[in-house]
Amino acid sequence: MVNSYLPLTLEECLEILAKHDVKIVAGGTDMLIQNRSHTSMSIGFKSDVIYISNINELKRIYEDDMFVYIGSCCSLEMIMENELVPSLLRDTILEMASPAIRHTATLAGNIGNASPAGDSLVPLYLLDALVEIRSASSVRRVALIDFIKGVRKIDLSKNELITEVIIPKLKFSDCYFKKVGPRLSDAISKLSFAGAYRLESNIIEDIRFAFGAVNVSVVRRRELEERLIGKTVTKVKEMIDEILVWYDEFIIPIDDQRSNKEYRKNISLKLLRSFIENIE
Amino acid sequence: MKDISIPINKVDNEDKCSGKAMYVADYKIEGMLYAFTVRSSIAKGEILKIEYPVLPEGYFIVDHRDVPGKNIVKVIYDDMPVFTSGKITYLYEPISLIVGPKKEVLNDLLKQVKISYQEEEPAFDWTDSVVHYHFDKGDGLNAFRGLDRIEYNYETSYQEQAYIETQGFIGYPEEDKVTLVGSIQCPYYVKNAVIQALGAAEDKVRIIQATVGGAFGGKEEFPSLIGCQLAVAISKIKKPIQLIYEREEDMLVTTKRHPSRVNFVGYIKNNRIYGLKAVVGIDGGANIGLSGVVLSRALIACTGAYSIEHLDISGDVFRTNTVPNGAFRGFGAPQMFFAVEMFFEHVAKRLKLDSLKFKLNHLARQNDFTSTMGIFRDPVLMPEMVEKVIKESDYIKKRKDYEDSSFKGIGMSLFFHGCGFTGSGEQNHIKAKVKLKKDQDKVYILIAAVDMGQGVKTSFRKLVAHILDIDIERVIFDNPDTDFVPDSGPTVASRTMMIVGGIVARAAKEVKERFNEETFTVFKQYEQPEYIKYDEASFKGDAYPAYSWGVNVVEVEVDKDTYQVNIKKTWSVYDIGKAIDERIVMGQADGGLAQGLAYGYLEVMNHKRGKIMQKNMTDYIIPTAMDMCPMETYLFENPYAYGPYGAKGVGELSLIGGAPAVAMAIEQAIKKKVFKIPVTPEYIMELINNGEN
Repeated sequence: MVNSYLPLTLEECLEILAKHDVKIVAGGTDMLIQNRSHTSMSIGFKSDVIYISNINELKRIYEDDMFVYIGSCCSLEMIMENELVPSLLRDTILEMASPAIRHTATLAGNIGNASPAGDSLVPLYLLDALVEIRSASSVRRVALIDFIKGVRKIDLSKNELITEVIIPKLKFSDCYFKKVGPRLSDAISKLSFAGAYRLESNIIEDIRFAFGAVNVSVVRRRELEERLIGKTVTKVKEMIDEILVWYDEFIIPIDDQRSNKEYRKNISLKLLRSFIENIE
Repeated sequence: MKDISIPINKVDNEDKCSGKAMYVADYKIEGMLYAFTVRSSIAKGEILKIEYPVLPEGYFIVDHRDVPGKNIVKVIYDDMPVFTSGKITYLYEPISLIVGPKKEVLNDLLKQVKISYQEEEPAFDWTDSVVHYHFDKGDGLNAFRGLDRIEYNYETSYQEQAYIETQGFIGYPEEDKVTLVGSIQCPYYVKNAVIQALGAAEDKVRIIQATVGGAFGGKEEFPSLIGCQLAVAISKIKKPIQLIYEREEDMLVTTKRHPSRVNFVGYIKNNRIYGLKAVVGIDGGANIGLSGVVLSRALIACTGAYSIEHLDISGDVFRTNTVPNGAFRGFGAPQMFFAVEMFFEHVAKRLKLDSLKFKLNHLARQNDFTSTMGIFRDPVLMPEMVEKVIKESDYIKKRKDYEDSSFKGIGMSLFFHGCGFTGSGEQNHIKAKVKLKKDQDKVYILIAAVDMGQGVKTSFRKLVAHILDIDIERVIFDNPDTDFVPDSGPTVASRTMMIVGGIVARAAKEVKERFNEETFTVFKQYEQPEYIKYDEASFKGDAYPAYSWGVNVVEVEVDKDTYQVNIKKTWSVYDIGKAIDERIVMGQADGGLAQGLAYGYLEVMNHKRGKIMQKNMTDYIIPTAMDMCPMETYLFENPYAYGPYGAKGVGELSLIGGAPAVAMAIEQAIKKKVFKIPVTPEYIMELINNGEN
């Protein structure tokens, strides 16, 4: 027998998490599928469950000078329609799943699921997103890149909950997201790519690349990006072949039922090349 | 009188849109049990021992020992057991049913079943030929001596029917009679199979069709297997039982389109294919079933829409330790038309000829011999149809423009579909019977044809109402129930309107003559047109009474970075004789083409050591509305004398041309020859890196 909890406030939720060993369900679009059972049988959860989708405090999107804050129970659709949210993330969400899924799935859920093919993680890595994590007795902020530890592995204790996704406000001259799925909508990515840069009189002030579904988690290498900062656009374009070699060792995709490693690797690098070629 | 083609609303719109329609999962019977299937975990071997858990009260195991009749599912070739008696020939082969009142308990019991095997090395390569056919036309091989030869190989892979509703039945006993209600295409196939499995008298088995949520051939022969299993369980347990597959179970174990390999050698004389040698292989999976018939339809289509004087054609069904393959809309023709259309394209390229002109030079004409020395008796409107499609799509100009631009392409496929069963199947095997009953002011259509979404209920009521010149409300057509309807044959092979509709029309004319009588029944049987003579063994004669024809033009753009294919637009022209309802035909045209295009570029299914890798709708990619494009369709009227109002087959024709047309468009876009489908971005990358120009 599985117990279900339905807290209405964050406080109540954190109390339950402190006392019980429960699985957290937000939108449920992954959890329900992962625990599916036969038609007309109840969902096959193996432990107690807490449904957090009724906590209204976690459905806010707001900003201050430095950051945009997205409550962990905001649906993808809410995020996509909110103009405070960086366009790169909103463009990404438009490519995710189907309208029905987007109305119930959450951004925090996509993070908590920590799938190598999670589309939203790609822009979030690129944007240096943070997550706020609370328990009944603590609050902490951690960079997303540190929060995700591997395939479906996250830095979250049993008594903790992701309460906010925090996105630094950054200025880019241009940004780009490309999802390469097996069809034009409603499909899991074969690979994905995001790129962004800021130019100041033809000098690269900032440049960022992130790759999805080609490693255990999103590939983002700040130390490689930094090598390009301060260089002219022409210089960076001359370095394309070299840049591709830098990324070679980090783009190590697998063969599976959706695609193969040759394609994933080749296309990831092609998208990087084409992104750099188009800087202007 | 109004033209019959003018569309009316489908008669089942309201039931289906409101949710009133009863699908098999909607049936609940007091005290009913559920059945789960115990399956093998190896692809080949012998069962040494099965240990079942102790069953709680009210739970049962049903296996081969419970089959009272013959432990063989009656299909076309009898080699599939109802339950295996020990020999395992593919992964997830059914071994037994566990039956009981609670799904949760069944699920637990299923996990506790322990089976030990003597495992053998499974065969996945195509070496075990279990059906071999060969035929010649003209001088066969002898005609080829001394001529230039051009050889190419083509490959197609699995396609999954992906019907909206999975396979399922519910059944119940009535004294010594078993009744099954199911999601099926062929009520009498199931009935005859159950009679054999139970060893029962004909009146002790009753099959009723529930509303069917799509079939595409997938519910032609497969339901006979689970129908037999469930009937055996009901006759043992004497309680109502429901057996419905979950999506993953359905995708892992049910029949799919046969993967194929075609080797063509064309012998060239005066810039024409003077002779053609074809060696064709299809993967039958673990059972032969109806694979032989699929192969023969493929072989008969070996010259495509063209006439070639000399042929040497052979083919094999190979048995492998994989899921048995079976019926799927097109039935062997989509595989062959892909190969033959690409071959004509590639030969034209080698000869440095314009491929459209090359194809038109070979086009079959009225009174030409078919590949089996039958005759195309009716007018062939293909030249006019091609002209129409060129005009609407601006094909010539685009084809030329895209030669110089990269990543854009346009392709055209020419094709036909032989309507009805191959050869003398209708006359010798099916012998379709229909009844029309007039009672007071109502007329009842009594046939076994199934509406699986293709609109049979609407088009047949419309047909009868039109002939009788009465309101459609006065014509009744309920889902077939074998206790009340005669065997008008299976709902397959693009035969329903042309063959069954033809008989119904004859019956309706008689009803009309006697319309002043209050109550009577008219019985009619199929009468084969005199000219149809076909010898199955030698592949000689008229393989089909009539042919539907089609032309598809497909325009694509290929993403230069990711090689993803974007279909921009399609233009189609079909000759289906006469549309009984134009909107229904247009629905078949759009849906069939979407399924055919997807077969050509999108739908990937493969197995790894016998295990299907794409086992749900997340991994098996069928097109969404976003992937499809505007589709223009034009119909040419060309009435067939024996079809009602001239109607010929529709359902399969519209699937056949999609794959070759999209493959040719992609070929033009990437300037590399395409030899297999689906043309995925992964394959395009391979071709761009290493392909033949």
